[in-house]
Amino acid sequence: MTGPGWLSVVTAVAGKDLRIEFRTRSRSLTMAGFVVLVGVLFNFSIDQALVRPQDIASGLTWITLILSGLIGVGRTFAIEKEDGALAGLLLTPAPRDAIYVGKVLANFLLVYAIVLLTIGVFGLFFRLDYGNHPGALLGILAAGTLGFVALATLFGALTASTTLGESLLPILLFPLLVPMVVYGASASGRLLAGRPVAEVAGQGRMLAAFAVLAVGAGAALFGQIVEE
Amino acid sequence: MKARTGWLGITLAVLGAMASVGTLWMVFFWVPTERTMGVVQRIFYIHVPSAWVAFLAFGIVAVASGVYLWLGDERADMAAQAAAEGGLLFTVIVLTTGPLWGKIAWGTYWTWEPRLTLTLILGFIYVGYMMVRSAAASPEQGKRFAAVVGIVGALFIPLIHMSVYWFRGLHPDPVILNPEGPTADWEIQATLYAGLLAFTLLFLGLMTLRYGVERARHVLELREAA
Amino acid sequence: MIRRTLASCLFGLALVALAGAWDGLAAQNANLGAQRLGRPYLFVFLAYAIGWGLILGWIVSIARRLRSLERRIDRD
Repeated sequence: MTGPGWLSVVTAVAGKDLRIEFRTRSRSLTMAGFVVLVGVLFNFSIDQALVRPQDIASGLTWITLILSGLIGVGRTFAIEKEDGALAGLLLTPAPRDAIYVGKVLANFLLVYAIVLLTIGVFGLFFRLDYGNHPGALLGILAAGTLGFVALATLFGALTASTTLGESLLPILLFPLLVPMVVYGASASGRLLAGRPVAEVAGQGRMLAAFAVLAVGAGAALFGQIVEE
Repeated sequence: MKARTGWLGITLAVLGAMASVGTLWMVFFWVPTERTMGVVQRIFYIHVPSAWVAFLAFGIVAVASGVYLWLGDERADMAAQAAAEGGLLFTVIVLTTGPLWGKIAWGTYWTWEPRLTLTLILGFIYVGYMMVRSAAASPEQGKRFAAVVGIVGALFIPLIHMSVYWFRGLHPDPVILNPEGPTADWEIQATLYAGLLAFTLLFLGLMTLRYGVERARHVLELREAA
Repeated sequence: MIRRTLASCLFGLALVALAGAWDGLAAQNANLGAQRLGRPYLFVFLAYAIGWGLILGWIVSIARRLRSLERRIDRD
């Protein structure tokens, strides 16, 4: 598993996905447009006489992460089907877990960039104060994004070859995202409210556990999904 | 083979049905009414055994899915499929009896009570498990995909459990009742254990019969292929 | 055949138990007086009726599928 080829497969798969994305910008542009427009709609959905936007911005950020991530990750295997690159890669003895980790890495970089855009746009729209610990906020979001991307990539590969396609993805994915939303929204909400980092250490650890479990399960089971 | 699983299933189901009749008698004619909650507490004797069976079934799904992916044994997949169908059924029972109890005991049909929340999520995982199986391009693929969903679901259930308990810590329920606490009368405990035994036997029996359905389908497919 | 008999036996037993249970519960709780009866009773019976209805439905559906499959196996 950890032979000399492993890391090079990871970087090759991640590099290929990122190069395609960089060239076409198909996913990043749709996702970026999506989060800005969602921010606009969220703004009009809030009656500011009843609730301050800052109070619910944390939860909205996580929901936006999930929805925009679905757009991005859901497409990745559809693209693979069109150009047949994955099928070609699967004919080689490349370790399946390395292919999976490479896909997760590329998707993570893409979705995390969109998450940063989201938090920036929401900061502007909802006048967020990033508190005294922006680093902790970025770390919390990174852990949540990694866990999300790991599960979405696994189930995205699975649903891409079913007759229902991407519409099945939320049904498989959302029940498992409960821990991410519970711990993530609480942690980022507290940080945005200016609470100390010590108060969110427990949530951070649970998010890290969520991410590790998701990547581990995906790496172990990905081979079963792409097997012909 | 067919006859053996048939008789095993029927024996277990009949034992379970007999124990169920005994439990129903205990619930409605024997066990005293619980003092603080009153009559509605009797829902407990169908609610809790159903919840136990729902989670037992999911454990069976996860283990059988693992065995199927590991050894490729068709029988493991059939067992997982049989357990998932029964598990979903008992999850639905939990999710209908729980709110009926909650309406009387707490004044609301739905609360984010952690165990009820966890059962709801479990139900969604079961639904996904079944949809994946039926939406796959080929039966072989459906078996593998369903097994993956079953295993990943089981891996995440403990984390989901922790998170919904932790979330409840932030938003406590207005009334917290602990009916299975050590203060419960022995008649209440005996009735609960009878219910647990009855539903476990009944579920295992019906699951075996449901397995027999897959078995028969498999035999028929082999014969038609030949 | 044996499965159909089994299913109808179970169904009959459950009906008898449900019918008898209302009387039993009312008799046993006659001394509760002050407690408001009515809706809690209805909900208890609803819970058991729905639960057992679903279980009996599952039994019938298993029996039906098994019977049709075995008929097809025997026919060939």
